[in-house]
Amino acid sequence: MHDAITKSKDVTLLEILDRVLDKGVIISGDVVISVADVDLIYLGLKVLLSSVETMGKLRGSPFIGPMQEAK
Amino acid sequence: MTTQQLVYLYCVADSEPELKETEALADNLYSVCNNGLYAVAGKVEQEEFGQEGLKRNMADFEWVKAKARMHERIIELVMADTDVIPFKFGTLFNTDASLKAMLEQYSREFKPILRKLAYKQEWGLKIYCNPEKLKATLGNNDSEILKIEDEIKSSSVGKSYFLKKKKDELIEKTLNERINECGQKSFELLKELSFEARIKKLLPREVTEREDEMVLNAAFLLDKDEVDDFQNMVETLKMHYESTGLYIDCTGPWPPYNFCGLSKQGVQNA
Repeated sequence: MHDAITKSKDVTLLEILDRVLDKGVIISGDVVISVADVDLIYLGLKVLLSSVETMGKLRGSPFIGPMQEAK
Repeated sequence: MTTQQLVYLYCVADSEPELKETEALADNLYSVCNNGLYAVAGKVEQEEFGQEGLKRNMADFEWVKAKARMHERIIELVMADTDVIPFKFGTLFNTDASLKAMLEQYSREFKPILRKLAYKQEWGLKIYCNPEKLKATLGNNDSEILKIEDEIKSSSVGKSYFLKKKKDELIEKTLNERINECGQKSFELLKELSFEARIKKLLPREVTEREDEMVLNAAFLLDKDEVDDFQNMVETLKMHYESTGLYIDCTGPWPPYNFCGLSKQGVQNA
């Protein structure tokens, strides 16, 4: 089998949160809540105050122009 | 006195879902039918999922993890038998009647989405970059970088200082080009095998908890017959890129979270 489809536990949690909290159909039900973006939840919960190195030049720079999300 | 309950919506299907298997996960799941659409829902406590409770609980990482996993597993079980439209975490109604009214209101939106999703699967692709490893492979392959290195060797102290600076800039530029090329190429090749493809936002390292940096986060909607070809292409890309510090991580099949968007019109009517 392809190892591509093995869902390791940690990867799966990240993948789940990346979808369940961030995507899926959004309609307003009777209880109006705002579930924040997945990274906000993570960051808010884990509060990593330790110095976080940033790779400013790499982050966010790739994929502009033709790589933009279709529709 | 019974505590007040709310109706938690997991997904909408176009045929009656078999919920027996979900009993191990949650014993109170049921479906609400309206006009050929089936909403899979469960009763949850007002105290836990009401406005106040949810606000409190969303700050509890363990709670979020457990509930998000459950949300996912319930949808995956339903998805084994029928096509589904997955809903976002925490879509709640006061009563079955108001859930049914929502199904009625959105049936014109949901039906074409379900038709589109029939016999398809969502797969996810994330690419991570280890810049040190990628940099190490650049020097040996890039003629421009090799040329500057030669110049540095034969230059005076003052001149070599500026040449080194120039070399660093060149490495940085080449690094970004390689990352772009890997992301573009992988995305385009896999998109060709897909019914639809999306680029999602990158997640920072605090979230991924990896040493390397996410440089592509994408989702693909595949016809089930294309899954083998898709996986073979992922393997080919892995073989091509992994020795250069670009790691490809492919997961699936997932409920089609990234491919069930309502039209703007529908959202406005909500």
